[in-house]
Amino acid sequence: MDYRSNRVRTLTIALLSVLAFSVVVSAQGVVEEPQKEDPPLVLFVVGCCVLPWILFALAWVVFGAAYPFMFLFGALFSGRNLERRVNAVVLREQASIEHFGKDPLSTLKGSHIVGGVNNSGLVYSSIVYAPSHWMLLIVWFNNLIGGRINILQKVIAAARSEAKQLLRERAMEEGWDEVLNVRIDTAEMTPASAKNGPRAVEIFAYGTGVKYG
Amino acid sequence: MQHIRDGIMVVNTETIAGKVITQNLGVVGGSTVRAKNVGRDITQALRNIMGGELVKYTELLEESRSEAIARMVADAAARGANAIVNVRFATSAVTSGAAELFAYGTAVKVE
Repeated sequence: MDYRSNRVRTLTIALLSVLAFSVVVSAQGVVEEPQKEDPPLVLFVVGCCVLPWILFALAWVVFGAAYPFMFLFGALFSGRNLERRVNAVVLREQASIEHFGKDPLSTLKGSHIVGGVNNSGLVYSSIVYAPSHWMLLIVWFNNLIGGRINILQKVIAAARSEAKQLLRERAMEEGWDEVLNVRIDTAEMTPASAKNGPRAVEIFAYGTGVKYG
Repeated sequence: MQHIRDGIMVVNTETIAGKVITQNLGVVGGSTVRAKNVGRDITQALRNIMGGELVKYTELLEESRSEAIARMVADAAARGANAIVNVRFATSAVTSGAAELFAYGTAVKVE
């Protein structure tokens, strides 16, 4: 599993950094004895080399320590947060549909517009959305059994409706009357072949805004 | 976000309504590869555990996308176009740390 290997790596990095640090400290003790002027320079150089690594290892240690709590938090609240977010998007959608008088987004190419068009231009919006690791665990279990995976579908549907809503809001800001030829792209943040990395999906929506003449 | 950049109209429809395409100047494109910094990566990794929107990554991709568009527009301007039609976008994750964003379209002259 993903997170288990993460934790193993965290622990090894922490252990190695402690080892390296102690070796450096003992080496300094040996070097310090013969000459008195050198230590500050040696310390400076060693500090420059080692400090970033120590900070990096520390960050991983913090990450490893925080992981169980975050995981639990995600398990308890991610579903509810998702639902809240979906409901908020529905409300915003209603508001913008009221503003335009209809849903401004369409995949039509514009031949249906009767009066002619005054101005047009590109509108785009994007959002990066991630399922929680709890959901990924459920998906892993689902994969054993096979069949539909509703939980991921829910996350991606939420991200998509939010991207579309952002597009509507952008169109509203820029004063377009309608958005034609809308396309929705989905891209992974991490290639499927990579073992680690953010397991997130990017939804990108774009279209051509037009202003009636 | 401006719909007209440097006097060049950018749309993703095949024609620009109310205008006539007089000359086709070929395919133009622009791309960027962006990586996040380590600090961002760590905070976003924590956010990833809990799920939900990764705001920093959204911002990053948005910035890179507008840069890709700007490069495409510069390419079109170098060819003497005054519009780009049928713009498409492509995204690919090169490694887990970097994403390539690519925008392309057809540079044309319209009247």
